[in-house]
Amino acid sequence: MESVKPPANGNNPEAWNEAYDRLENFLQALALGDHAHVSQMALELFRRAREEYLKNPSREPATLAMEQAQKQLADWLAVNLGEEDRTPSHILATGYIALLLSQVYRTAPASFLASPLPEELRQALRETLLVAGPDLNVSSMTPRHLDYGPMLQLARQTWHRWDAKELIIAIFFWAGVYTVFYWWLSQLL
Amino acid sequence: MNSSTPQTDDFVVRRSVFLGLSILLTVIGVVLMLNCYAGQALFWEDYVSISVFPLLFSQIAVGFVLALFGLFDKLRGGDPHHLMRGSWREKEDSIPLAATAIVVPVYNEDVARVSKGIANMWRSLEKTGQIEHFDFYICSDSTDADHWVEEECAWLSLCQKLNAFGKIFYRKRRHRINGKSGNVADFCRRWGKRYRYMIVLDADSIMIGSTLVRLVRAMEANPTAGIIQTQPYMVLGTSLFRRVLQFSSQIYGGLFSQGCSMAQMSSGSYWGHNAIIRVAPFMEYCGLPHLPVPDPNRRHVLSHDTVESALMRRAGYGVWIAYDEPGSYEEGPPNLSDMLTRDRRWCAGNLQHFWFLFARGIEMGSRLQIWIGLMGYLCSPLWLIFLIAGSFGAYFRARFLMLSADPEDLGAATSSHAMPLLVLTLTLLFLPRLLGILTSLPRARQFGGTFQLLFSALLENLLSFFLAPVLMMFHTFFVLLTISGWQIKWTTQNRADLGLTFTHCLRLYGWLSGLALIICPIAYAYLGGVSYWLLPILAGWFLAPFLAWLTSGRRLGMFFKSCRLFVTPEETQPPPELQGLDGDDAEELSAPPALWVQALLSPYVQAVHLSMVRQGSTGGQPVRSLIDLRERLIREGPHAINAKEKLRLLWDGETVFWLHQELWSRPGAQLHSSWISLQAECAKSRLLSDYLTAK
Repeated sequence: MESVKPPANGNNPEAWNEAYDRLENFLQALALGDHAHVSQMALELFRRAREEYLKNPSREPATLAMEQAQKQLADWLAVNLGEEDRTPSHILATGYIALLLSQVYRTAPASFLASPLPEELRQALRETLLVAGPDLNVSSMTPRHLDYGPMLQLARQTWHRWDAKELIIAIFFWAGVYTVFYWWLSQLL
Repeated sequence: MNSSTPQTDDFVVRRSVFLGLSILLTVIGVVLMLNCYAGQALFWEDYVSISVFPLLFSQIAVGFVLALFGLFDKLRGGDPHHLMRGSWREKEDSIPLAATAIVVPVYNEDVARVSKGIANMWRSLEKTGQIEHFDFYICSDSTDADHWVEEECAWLSLCQKLNAFGKIFYRKRRHRINGKSGNVADFCRRWGKRYRYMIVLDADSIMIGSTLVRLVRAMEANPTAGIIQTQPYMVLGTSLFRRVLQFSSQIYGGLFSQGCSMAQMSSGSYWGHNAIIRVAPFMEYCGLPHLPVPDPNRRHVLSHDTVESALMRRAGYGVWIAYDEPGSYEEGPPNLSDMLTRDRRWCAGNLQHFWFLFARGIEMGSRLQIWIGLMGYLCSPLWLIFLIAGSFGAYFRARFLMLSADPEDLGAATSSHAMPLLVLTLTLLFLPRLLGILTSLPRARQFGGTFQLLFSALLENLLSFFLAPVLMMFHTFFVLLTISGWQIKWTTQNRADLGLTFTHCLRLYGWLSGLALIICPIAYAYLGGVSYWLLPILAGWFLAPFLAWLTSGRRLGMFFKSCRLFVTPEETQPPPELQGLDGDDAEELSAPPALWVQALLSPYVQAVHLSMVRQGSTGGQPVRSLIDLRERLIREGPHAINAKEKLRLLWDGETVFWLHQELWSRPGAQLHSSWISLQAECAKSRLLSDYLTAK
C-alpha cells in the first residue's frame, strides 16, 4: 500500500492513508477486473476528497473519500440507467444489481465510471431485471374445521381437566397403594 | 366431487384380504401365545404380556401382509388398476401440461447443495422440452442470518447461470409460522392460484425431469387424483450408516410401498415431499385443522403430510403412490444420532395423529395409515413393557415351580407351543426381508453383484438386529417425552457425513451399555437359562456406542463402497441429475466467515438483499431500539449482537443501506476494529461475483 501525501494544511497522514485504503477496498469489493483502472479511480476520488477537505477541514478524510466515491457512482448510474429522479439509495441498489447481472464490471472494467458510456454497455445495464417473486395472486387457505368425534368429548371430560402434576402424583400414589397391597397379599398367602 | 375410490369388487377384495390376513395371522399368534401359558399358574405380569402381545403381533402381521401384497403385485407385473397404468399412458405424450410450481422449502440448509440440486432438476427439465410449464420457488424459513444471505446470493447465481429470471423465485418468510406446512401454505396463499399443480420437495430432494413431466400428465389425465406420491430412494450416502439405510430402502422399500399401494389404492400415503399436489383442492380442503388441546401453543399439527392426505381423501380426491416411477431421490440421516433426532420429531407428529383416528369424515384407508404410523412408535414402549413383564413372569413362575414339590410341573414350563410361536414370529419378521432380497436378485449387478448383494443384506440384517433394541429404548423415551408434553422443535436435518466422536457416542448411548452390564448378571442369577432370550437385546444395548460411532464416519462407508458392498443402482449407473451433488464432486466456494456481514459491506450483496426486503420495508424513521442496535453494531462489532438482532437489522432495508454507508464512511476511530479487517476481507472475497462466475 503506497503512502499518501498529507494535504497542504498538515492534517494527520494516517487519516489520509486510511481514507485511501478505504477507497481501494471499496473499489476492489466491486470486483473490477482492471486493477490499473481501479488505482486511477482511487487516486482521482482521493484528489476530489482532498479538494473537499480544503473547503471543510473539520470533516474526516475517510468520510470525504467515501462520499466522493458514492456520489460519483450514484451520478454515473443514474445517468446510465435513466433514473435521475430516484433517491441515491434506490439508484445505488438498482445500479449494483445492473452492474452485477450485466457483468459490465468484468467484461468492460475500464468503462466503469467512464462518461459517456458506450451505448451497448448502457443498454446492457438497463436490460437487467430482478424479480424475486411473481405478482401476488393472494387467496386464502384457512384451517379446516374437523369434528374430532367421541375422543374429544372423552378428553374434554377427563385429561384436559387434569393438571399434569396432579396426575403424576395420583399415579405414584396409587402405584404405591397397589404395591403395598400386593406385598401384603403375598405375605398373607 | 365424486369420490375417486375405485368402488370395484377388486378394491373390496383387496382390502378384505389385507385386513382378513392381518387379523388371521394375529389371531394365530395370540392362540399360540395363550397355549404357551396352558396349564400354568398365571401371574399379573403374564396378564400384562398377554394384553400387549396382540398389539405387537398385529404390527408384524401387517408388515408381512404388505410385503406379500408387494410380492404378488411385482410377480404379476404391476397393478392394472393403478392410476399410473391407466389408458392415458398410451397417448401420454399428447397430453398438454398445466402450470406447475416446484416448491422447495428450505430451513438453514446447505445452500450450495440445494442450489446445485435445483440446477440439476432445471437442466433435466430443459431436456424434456417442457420447462416453460414449470416454475421453481425457493421458500426459505431460515433463521440463521448467514444462511439467509447465502440463499439470496445462490438464488441470483442460479437465475443468472440458468437464464431463469422470472422462472426461479425466492421468498423469505419473516415469521416462521407452522414450520414447513406453514411455508407451503404461505406459497399457496401468495401464488397458489397461478398454478394447477405443485410439486413439493424437501431441501435434499431431487427428481428427474421426465418423472416431473409424467406426474403432471398423470394429474391432467386423472382429474380425481389429488396427490401422487413418488417413492423417493435415498442416495449420496458416504457414511456407513447412510449407505446401509439407502441400501435397505432399495432392497425392501419398494416391496412395502408396492404392497401398500396395492392394498390402499387411492387411499395411499403422502410423505410430505417428492409428490405432486392438485393445488385448488389442497387449498380448499387441506388447511390443517387446529388440534383440540387446551394449550394454544400445541395446536399445530407437526407431521402434516398424513393429515393432508387424509383431508384430501375426505374431500373425495385420490392419493396414490407411484411406487415404480424412477428418478425420485432424497438423502437420509448420516448417523444414528441424526436419525434419532428425526425420529423424535416424527414420533411427536405421529402421536398427534391420534386425534384424527376417531375424527368424523376420515376415510377408512386414512385411518389405517394413521393407525400404522401411530403404532410405529407406540410399539416401542409396548415391546419394552412386554419384555419387562415377560421377564418378571418367568422369574415368578420359576420360583413358584421350584417351591412346588411336584417335579412334573417343571415340565410344563417348557411349553411345546413356544417353538411354533417363535418360528411364526421369525417368519413374519424376516420373510419380507428375504422376499426383498429375492426380488432384487435379478438386478444384482446394479447392487455390485450377487455375492455383494447377499453379503450386504446379511450385514444389514445384523446391524438392524443390534440397533432394534436401541431404537426401542429411544422411541420409548420419545413417546414418554411427547405424552408428558415436552415441546418438540422442528430442526434442520443434518445431511453432512461428518462422523460422530466416540465421546459423543459414549455420552449418548453409554447408559445403554451400562444398563446391559447391570441387567446381564442379574437376569442370569434370577432367570437362569431363560435369561439367554434377553441376550440379543442386551447385546444391542451394550454395542450401541460402538455401532453409532463406527457407522457414522465416511472412512468405513467408503471402505465398504470400495468392496462393492451396500452399493445401490444409483451408484453403479449414476443419473446425470445426481452428478455434482456428492460432497466429493461439489465445487466448494470459499464463503467468507460471518456471511451476513457481506449484506452490510459488499455493494453487490447489499443491493441484492435490499431488492428482496424493500417490498416490506416501511421506509419511515427507525424506532429508538433499532437506532441503538445500529450504533452498537458499529461500535462493538458484528459479534456484539445476537442471532435475533441480526435478523432484525437485515429485515429493515433502510437500516441495511444506512449501515452500508456508515461502515464504509466512518473513520476507523469510530468503528470497532473488526470492521476494518472485514472491509479488507470483503474486498478480497467478492462473494457474489464469484458465485456468478462459478460454473
